[in-house]
Amino acid sequence: MEKEYTPQIIGFLCTWCSYTGADLAGVSRLQIPPSIRVIRLMCSGRIDPLFVTKAFISGSDGVMMMGCHPGDCHYQKGNYYTRRRYKTINSVFESLHLDTERIFLSWVSASEGVKYAHVTKEFSDKITGLGPNPVKKEIFL
Amino acid sequence: MTATENIKIEKPPKGASIPAKEGIKKAILGVFKKALETEALDAIMIPVKVPETESYAWVLLKDTTLLENADPLPPVMTIQGGKVLSDLTKHGKINKNIAAVLRPCETRAAVELFKLKQLHFENITLISIDCPGAIPLSEYLAEPEKSKKSFDNVLDKWDGDDAVRKVCQICYRFSLPTLTNAPASDLHIGLSGNTKDDVLLIPVTPKGEKILERLDLKADSSLQKWETKIKEIKKIKSQRRKKFNHDFKANISGPEKFTAVFDGCINCHNCQSVCPICYCQQCYFDSATTKLSSEDYFRRAKERGALRFPLDTILFHLGRMSHMALSCVSCGACEDACPMSISVSQVFSLVGEQTQQAFNYTPGINREESLALQDYLEDEFCEVETPSECEPTNSNEVKENV
Repeated sequence: MEKEYTPQIIGFLCTWCSYTGADLAGVSRLQIPPSIRVIRLMCSGRIDPLFVTKAFISGSDGVMMMGCHPGDCHYQKGNYYTRRRYKTINSVFESLHLDTERIFLSWVSASEGVKYAHVTKEFSDKITGLGPNPVKKEIFL
Repeated sequence: MTATENIKIEKPPKGASIPAKEGIKKAILGVFKKALETEALDAIMIPVKVPETESYAWVLLKDTTLLENADPLPPVMTIQGGKVLSDLTKHGKINKNIAAVLRPCETRAAVELFKLKQLHFENITLISIDCPGAIPLSEYLAEPEKSKKSFDNVLDKWDGDDAVRKVCQICYRFSLPTLTNAPASDLHIGLSGNTKDDVLLIPVTPKGEKILERLDLKADSSLQKWETKIKEIKKIKSQRRKKFNHDFKANISGPEKFTAVFDGCINCHNCQSVCPICYCQQCYFDSATTKLSSEDYFRRAKERGALRFPLDTILFHLGRMSHMALSCVSCGACEDACPMSISVSQVFSLVGEQTQQAFNYTPGINREESLALQDYLEDEFCEVETPSECEPTNSNEVKENV
């Protein structure tokens, strides 16, 4: 029997909202896709565009950026910067026709365990549909 | 075109016309000589031909005899002027009153470095000059005399001759807008296109006006003729850029083609060290973090079937792009420095332009504008969020909280 394809997705989660939200999803016994690997950060504003490009080039099938809702940032404005950085990465990838579908940004608050389970499942399903990241097999990369 | 470039002011600016009977460069150097003699300026930072070789270096000079070998618009851009100015003032303002003569791309790099807090503008008069482009460094060094002639030819005709670098051929920011409410340089030198009888000194800021005042030059000539000519060239170059980028994009798009462009990269990081915008003291890509243990190398080799060394050259370029694309001024220093003749600056220019358009931001065109990544609006780019959460009620709530 052919082994079912499980993508590898890296998630950058801020500790105050999204990580706590993910924790709540676990405590609430909601199903979270096994494809997600979470990296906890103090704030989504800590996400250097390099983290995302490195994860992508190293062959992750998807990269998630998650933080508090705009206006709810523990550090007042970190997530506003995150949004601009995401837009930058998106534009760079778009202008080179790299797969922008594989990167996504979402706001999940500490109380939104259900939302976390929902968006991760949707994203994981989407990535499964897209298949493995083509850069994975590029030796000259 | 960004918002800043479209700002209209009511009173049309004027410039001081300097007769240029003996050539444009002589006329400009004459003005600088007078400025140094009358002590309107304490020193000038200007490219000077290095004795014995054909190269140019930046020299901070006070001695007017040194001006004889100076060239306000050398045929090549050996060192990015913005970077030089940053080196000079990074650790605090200077107390002397100096002027720096920069090409528009160098001026814009200086403004970006100013915004990045790597440069102080106090006591510095930034003089920008219309630029027809620069000859590729390698070509110039191989045949200096021929290159000088072809550069003079380009300066004469003001059309993107094939002699200049590719990124210069498609550069439509070869001049700077002289808007007093959105200044880049303090004084702009307008070379009035095909007629070579005069040079225009256009004051942009009070600092620029002061210099003209000290030199007894009256800014009373209309800029109309110059502006029309600039517009004409701009139109041609913009069209050429559009066409070039369209064709070029097809050659570099997608992971395979993008990899192919940078395949020759030998990981020397020359492009990064000459880049005026790459100002970090320690670049991630030069750090020990990028060196892995042999187990890690083997793990990676196993994943891909083989492992290419040097490692992560593509990540280097893509990472650098995601860091500085928003501030890229398309000066082409990276391509000049590339020993493998990779079209680095063409790729960066294309990616930079598209990224800057996403933020409606033009790097270095306006000192008063803040950097795109140091600024934000509470209500923007909601389309990038998943799921998109920009219902009007939501955004109103945010506004009330402010």
